[in-house]
Amino acid sequence: MSPILTFIVILVGLYGLATSKNIIKSVFCVTIIEAGVILLFLNLGNLEGGSIPILDGIVENIVDPLPQALMITTIVIGATITALALMLCIKIFHHYGSIEWKEVLGKEEK
Amino acid sequence: MSEYISYGLQVLLIVIAIAIVFHKRNFTIIILIATFGLIAAILYLMNKAPDVAIAEVAIGSAIIPLIYVVSISRQREFIVLDRAQDGFITYGETFSGEGYEILDQFVKSYDLSLNLCVDIRGSEQDLTSQLNVDLIITKDTTRNLYILKGKSSSVLMSKLRQMVKDKPNIRVEVFKGGESND
Amino acid sequence: MIRRITLVLMLVIIFGVFVLSMIDLQSLYNTSGKDYFFANGVFETGSLNLVTGIYLDYRLFDSLFEAGILIVAVSGVMWISQHEIEEKNATFMFDKQKTPNLFVTFSRLVYPLMLGFGIYVIVNGHVSPGGGFQGGAIVATAILILYYIDINKTTDVAKILTIEKILFILIVLIGSVGLITRGEVFTNFFTLSTSTNLKSIYLIALNILIGTKVALGMVAIFTAFLKEGR
Repeated sequence: MSPILTFIVILVGLYGLATSKNIIKSVFCVTIIEAGVILLFLNLGNLEGGSIPILDGIVENIVDPLPQALMITTIVIGATITALALMLCIKIFHHYGSIEWKEVLGKEEK
Repeated sequence: MSEYISYGLQVLLIVIAIAIVFHKRNFTIIILIATFGLIAAILYLMNKAPDVAIAEVAIGSAIIPLIYVVSISRQREFIVLDRAQDGFITYGETFSGEGYEILDQFVKSYDLSLNLCVDIRGSEQDLTSQLNVDLIITKDTTRNLYILKGKSSSVLMSKLRQMVKDKPNIRVEVFKGGESND
Repeated sequence: MIRRITLVLMLVIIFGVFVLSMIDLQSLYNTSGKDYFFANGVFETGSLNLVTGIYLDYRLFDSLFEAGILIVAVSGVMWISQHEIEEKNATFMFDKQKTPNLFVTFSRLVYPLMLGFGIYVIVNGHVSPGGGFQGGAIVATAILILYYIDINKTTDVAKILTIEKILFILIVLIGSVGLITRGEVFTNFFTLSTSTNLKSIYLIALNILIGTKVALGMVAIFTAFLKEGR
């Protein structure tokens, strides 16, 4: 369980975001980056070890519960922002006729 | 022992992420996104966080692929409204006619699918900006011409112009397609 | 080609910076927050699940703003995809898809089970893993199965948005009842000396409101997606 392997997921997502020819693929890469960031936060809360933060019996040491509470809201917000971005993509397609970055920005003719 | 399982799952996550970045067809990447979400949920559980795992499974593997499927299938259609119904395109079991062949060839070169419809009322300005109609076919009976109208901001119109350049009874026009929400 | 090499070089530099900063992590690690939650969490909030106690009692402000982001995003999606002309006489020819009978029967069997499971996860948020946000997403998935059964049935979206706004105002009101009974705002309105069973009334009420709000928001977003272009 190491944070270094998790950081590689974020870097792969960044590479995909920077070199993508499609608008839809950029939105895919944002989802990957978001899952990687959440995994990094949970990894850093689990360095010492412990048990699940539900005090249902006798436990000795628990994992830090604060990052988990923040990450729940992160997941829900990520889903709604993805929906907003995809609605904009549909509108771009009906206005311009294609969904590639260079044609929409007007730099290349097909 | 459980350390090796978590290391192996993290390496699998990296492999799936590389596969998503380098794949070409949009429709099969959706299944990879669902698998990515499920393996991430297992890793969240191994980090002692069951609340986050339930949220990731419910949202990242059920709602997000659904939204992607609906939005990608909306971008495969090219909507054509036919207002001159006298033999340019004939309907029946299969479609045929001179206009249909031109449209079919044009649509196949962009890997879209054709969607023909017959009777929608409304002015042309409203139709292109609100209901997302892409092409309107009308017939000018005085000069015996078929006129195809489309939006001026679309990048597909120049290809259509090239295709009908040597046919004398078809003409392509553009007009400014309505106000947009910029 | 040069651009790709520069991009990979920059990513390797970022990776090196991250590895360098993780070397002395053990000396920076501070556990005083975790010890405080472990010692006083159950007594002050009244919930056995510490994560639910954090986002409903210690940090209710964050959850309020998250509910606010949901409202803004739903209204944004509605505004981008609005129509003004009536669609009474639009017959698209290639649109006659009928879902197979196997799907319809299976959805009719699965729908009450999913709805029941979602309500169970919402109500039991303070004892077992679960809560408002998770249960709301499960209930939203259960309602979206209805679109498989009958693809032409659409709901009235204006009513859903009105109910959502009323729920948001209710959440703010229940959160600020604590001003009268305890002197602090955005916390549990029972005083600290009541038993744990009574303190969990506040948690159950807030969980139900948040769960319903999240479910209605997701259903409204999905309805806007299906209606776009019909």
